[in-house]
Amino acid sequence: MSVSHQITALQYALEKAGRRPIVVVDEPLMADGTTSDIPVVTNLTASRAVVARSLGINDHQTAAPIYAQRTGTQITPETISNDTAPVQEIVIEGDDVDLTRLPALTQHVTDPGPYLTAAHATTYDPDTKTDNTAIQRCWIKSKRRMSYFPYPSSHNNRNMRKFWARGEDCPVVFWIGHHPAVLMGTQAKLNYPESHWGACGGLLGEPLRVTPSRTFGDLIMVPADAEIVIEGYVPRDVLEADGPFGEYTGYSGPQVAAPVVNVTSITMRKGALYHDYGSGLTDMLVPDNMTMEGKVYGLCKQVAPSVTNVHVPAQGRRFHGYIQVENPGPGEVRDALMAALSYRRLKMAIAVDKDIDIFDDSEMMFALATRVQWSRDSFTVDGLSGSLLDPSTPAGSKTLSKIGIDASLPLPGRPGAPPPVPPRSIVPQDAMDNAAKILSGTDMSGWPTL
Amino acid sequence: MSAANTNNRETVRLGAPWEKTGNTSWTQCPECDDWFHIGPGLLDRPEVAMHCPSCHHEFNQTDAKRLVTSG
Repeated sequence: MSVSHQITALQYALEKAGRRPIVVVDEPLMADGTTSDIPVVTNLTASRAVVARSLGINDHQTAAPIYAQRTGTQITPETISNDTAPVQEIVIEGDDVDLTRLPALTQHVTDPGPYLTAAHATTYDPDTKTDNTAIQRCWIKSKRRMSYFPYPSSHNNRNMRKFWARGEDCPVVFWIGHHPAVLMGTQAKLNYPESHWGACGGLLGEPLRVTPSRTFGDLIMVPADAEIVIEGYVPRDVLEADGPFGEYTGYSGPQVAAPVVNVTSITMRKGALYHDYGSGLTDMLVPDNMTMEGKVYGLCKQVAPSVTNVHVPAQGRRFHGYIQVENPGPGEVRDALMAALSYRRLKMAIAVDKDIDIFDDSEMMFALATRVQWSRDSFTVDGLSGSLLDPSTPAGSKTLSKIGIDASLPLPGRPGAPPPVPPRSIVPQDAMDNAAKILSGTDMSGWPTL
Repeated sequence: MSAANTNNRETVRLGAPWEKTGNTSWTQCPECDDWFHIGPGLLDRPEVAMHCPSCHHEFNQTDAKRLVTSG
């Protein structure tokens, strides 16, 4: 199976079929017709259930408060020596470096070539020497050169600009492949400058093992148990075309002017796996959205104690947030909605009561259809920060228009009384249990598809 | 919406605030005629060559066969 489009096509086909297995491709076919002895692992995080289980959480619907709690409980990383670090079992340096031998995928029609999609870029603040990590894409351009797109508002971009302002090239390492808890820990929203290693440990439940990088020593530590590490410099003030690139929005992002990396070394485990994220697929949306749920839950909970859960559905990309409340006080629902909308990527927040399943869009539609008068229960706020990759953003705009919708029921006339609306039509639970029992014992395989 | 032309460049002017407009600029490769989309940050840096994702030809904005910018 080819790294050019075919593996990604399989992911799309699986997603359309509603299947979310982890995909491992041994001996992937490279664009030049040769095969790679580095297997590709993708679709690792396409399933919410699998991601939750990897975090030791039985029910993915309960992950938001757990993520908020664990990433807030940081665990200091443990440093191990180079010679015991698995990720440095194989060291390739200097002219022996060849990025084009990595089985990086070309995913979409408009992508100009193979991209690293699961590369976690680690840089450091030259003032405080504090590191920062974020997933940032790289287009492999030649054996030792690749483009690198640190999003303009990212802390890595800030670090890079600081080096450039000093007249220096920016040191950077990219590490690929690790436990999902570590991958999701790097998404913790932290202050600047603040290292992600502690949050990774918090999510892992044990210290993250790190080791000095080959090129930069203690200045940039790398996860010792990663699969592959790429080290190099971002040369000062050099920008080249990067993209177009198929983005999480489900659209192709435009070609941009981006920095490049001159690679000094590649290290890897013996028998290393190459991890790829299917960009714009649930493979990438699920872990990001689950971390968003934890972050938005934390924001909302600070101002609205009645918030019990948050869901960021993959079908809304990263733009929709569902907020569940239980017995909110006066004004609390709107407080929660305002807090949720302050999170950069969300552009619509909907609040519902405990009786609505926020993991079921048909339930959300039911709440919107029957509990909202639009002029009374919705509000828009212009000029908030957001993702400019949203194709509906007006040309030239640097901010977005967002909406909050209160789809909760009105408060009861007095504490303890039912809310002043008709009760939902429901069937007794014992009858529902009996119906489920009948269906589970019925062979429906021969029934016509209608 | 209307368009203004200057040599190879065409700017789609925005209409009234209530009219729906796009946000994406497009260029046409002078080598293979393929169209691809470019961001405002790249448009603001004419010294950075554009790179055709189809034929990998690199060219400056002034050499684009067509450049249709939004806004």
